[in-house]
Amino acid sequence: MNGKLEYWVKVPVGPIHPALEEPEKFIITLDGERIVNVDVKLGYNLRGLEWIAMRRNYIQILYLAERICGICSFSHNHTYSRAVEEMAGIEVPERAEYIRVITGELERIHSHLLNLGVVGHTIGYDTTLHLSWLARERVMDILEAIGGNRVNYSINTIGGVRRDLEEKHIRAILDMIKNYRNEVMPKIEEIFLYDPTVEARLRDAGVIPKRIAIEYSAQGPTARGSGVKKDVRYNEKLSVYPDLGVKPITPKEFTGVVKGDVFDRMVVRVGELWQSMELIERAIDQMPEGKIKAVPKDNTLLFQLKKAEGEGIGRYEAPRGELIHYVMGQKGKDVPAKWKMREPTFPNLFAIARALVGEQVADVPVAIASIDPCLSCTDRVAVVDANTGRKKVLTERDLLKLSIEKTRELNPNVKAKPEVVGVGCPRGGVL
Amino acid sequence: MNVDEFVKAFGERFPEAEVRVSENKMPHPKRRVWVEIDRERFHDAMKFIKELDPKAQFSIIIGIDAGDRLLAKYHMEMFWEDGESLSLVIGTSVPKDDPKLPTVTDIFPSALPYERENQEFLGLFFEGIPDPRRLFLPDDFPEGIYPLRLDETGIKPEMVKNAGHPYKIKKEGSK
Repeated sequence: MNGKLEYWVKVPVGPIHPALEEPEKFIITLDGERIVNVDVKLGYNLRGLEWIAMRRNYIQILYLAERICGICSFSHNHTYSRAVEEMAGIEVPERAEYIRVITGELERIHSHLLNLGVVGHTIGYDTTLHLSWLARERVMDILEAIGGNRVNYSINTIGGVRRDLEEKHIRAILDMIKNYRNEVMPKIEEIFLYDPTVEARLRDAGVIPKRIAIEYSAQGPTARGSGVKKDVRYNEKLSVYPDLGVKPITPKEFTGVVKGDVFDRMVVRVGELWQSMELIERAIDQMPEGKIKAVPKDNTLLFQLKKAEGEGIGRYEAPRGELIHYVMGQKGKDVPAKWKMREPTFPNLFAIARALVGEQVADVPVAIASIDPCLSCTDRVAVVDANTGRKKVLTERDLLKLSIEKTRELNPNVKAKPEVVGVGCPRGGVL
Repeated sequence: MNVDEFVKAFGERFPEAEVRVSENKMPHPKRRVWVEIDRERFHDAMKFIKELDPKAQFSIIIGIDAGDRLLAKYHMEMFWEDGESLSLVIGTSVPKDDPKLPTVTDIFPSALPYERENQEFLGLFFEGIPDPRRLFLPDDFPEGIYPLRLDETGIKPEMVKNAGHPYKIKKEGSK
C-alpha cells in the first residue's frame, strides 16, 4: 500500500446532457484504498447541438431539444418552450400548464424509479432493480397513452401542449397512483428507508457537505440530499406549482438527520415519489377546462416569433435538478440568434468529483450513480502503479464486484453473486 | 431582499450599470433582473453580489458572438433561502480583438467548468483562470478554431461533412 496508484474510470455521462450511453472519464488518483484526487474529462460524445441549432427554426429546435436526453425528454423541450415564451411574451392557457405539470411529474416518477433501481444494482441488490423497473413500466405505459411514445412523447409545444388529457387517461393515472401507493411504495420504502444493510452500505458514502453543495452549485436531489432547500418549482414560482403547494424535500422530514451522503439522496428521491403523486392528484382535481394552445397553428406561431426580439430564460426542475435554457431572438428571422442550455449533471458532476476525495474505491460506482447520471456502461478502470508504470484495467464488472463484496461483508446473507452481469456493455479489454 | 431593494442597492454602488427588470405573464408573475456592466467593473460587481448574498448560486455562463463583440451573460440565483428567489442575469461584453475577461473563480469556484467551456468554444479568455485545460474538445482539435464563432475563426466548411439541415443537404449527383 505504499505505491501511488492512478485509476481511470470511464463513466457514461454525457458532455452536453446526462443521457444514456454517453462516455465520460473520471481520473481518480488513489493512495491505497483512499481517493486523493478526482479529475473529470468530458466531450467524448459531443454532438454540437448548439451549432446544429443555428441552422434550424424555433419549431424545429423543439424536436432537437427533446432529443438531448431520453430520460428527461419532456423537461428539455418544456424549458426551451418557456424560454421562447418569455422572449416573445406568449401567454400559455391555464389548462396547458396543468397538463404540463401532470406530464412533468409522471416523468419525475419514472426517472426516480429508474435511479433507485440503478443504485440497488450497484450495491448488488438486483431485486431492487427488477422491482423498481417493473413498477416503472406502468408510468411508461401511461406516458405512451398521453403522448404517443414511451420516450420523446413530444407533448409540449411553444405556447401550450399538443394533446389534451381525456377522461380515460385521467382514470388510468389515478389507477396507477392507487397501485403505487398500496403496492410499490411500501416495498421501496422498506428497502431504502428501513433495510439495515442498505443503510450501512449507503451511509457515509460520497458525502457532499452542505457547504460544498452550495459552493459547487449542486442541483436537484443531490443538493436537497445535503440539506439545501432549493427547488426551482418553489423558488421560481414556476407555472401553477404554487397553487399545488410544492415544497423542497430534504431527508430531515423522513429520517431526522441530514448527512449529505448517498443514503440521503435516495431518501429525497423516495420522498419526491410521494410528492409527485400528490401533485398529480391535486392537479387533476384543479384542472380547468379550456383551450390547450396559445397559437393553434405552427406557421402562425412562427410568423409571430419572427417579429419577436429580446431574450428569455426558461428554468425548470427536471428530475435530476435545475435546467436552464436561454434563447435570444432576432427580428425578421425565424431562427434564434442564440440557444444555450445547461443541464443539472454538469455542476453535480464536479460536486461529486469533489466529494469523492477521501472515499473508498468500492464507493465510486454507487456515489456516481447517486447523482443520477446514466451508468449503463461504466466503461472500465485502468489502474496504474506509479512506481513501476504497469497498467491494469478494471472493467465495469470488476468495479461492481468490489462494490458487491463490500455489501456482503456487511451482510453475509446477501445472495447476489459477486460475478455480476452488468446492465451495460460487456466490453472489457485494453484501455 | 426583493427585486426593488436589490435594484436600489446595486444602482447605488454601480451607477453606470444598466439595470432592467422584466416581468413575464405566467400564472404567477415572476420578475427577472438583467444587468449590463463594463468589463472593468465586472469583477467588482460579482464581488458585490457575493457580499449581498454569500449563498448566491452560480448557474451558467452564456457566451454569444455578436458581430464585433463577444457577450458573456452570467445567470445567478440569489436569496433562494427566503422562498421566492431572485433571478439575475449579469452581462458584460468584450471587443473581439481583445477577448479577455477577469475570472470569477476566486468568488464562485463553480464557475470554472463554464469558463473552460467558453474558452474552447468561443475564444473568450479568462485572465487568471486556475485550470485552462480543454474540457470538451479533444486535445488534437486544431488551435485557433472556435466552433461557436460566426467569423473566420469559426468552423471551416471543409471541416464539416454532411451536417446542417436534413432537408437542405444536397445529395450526391443531384443538382
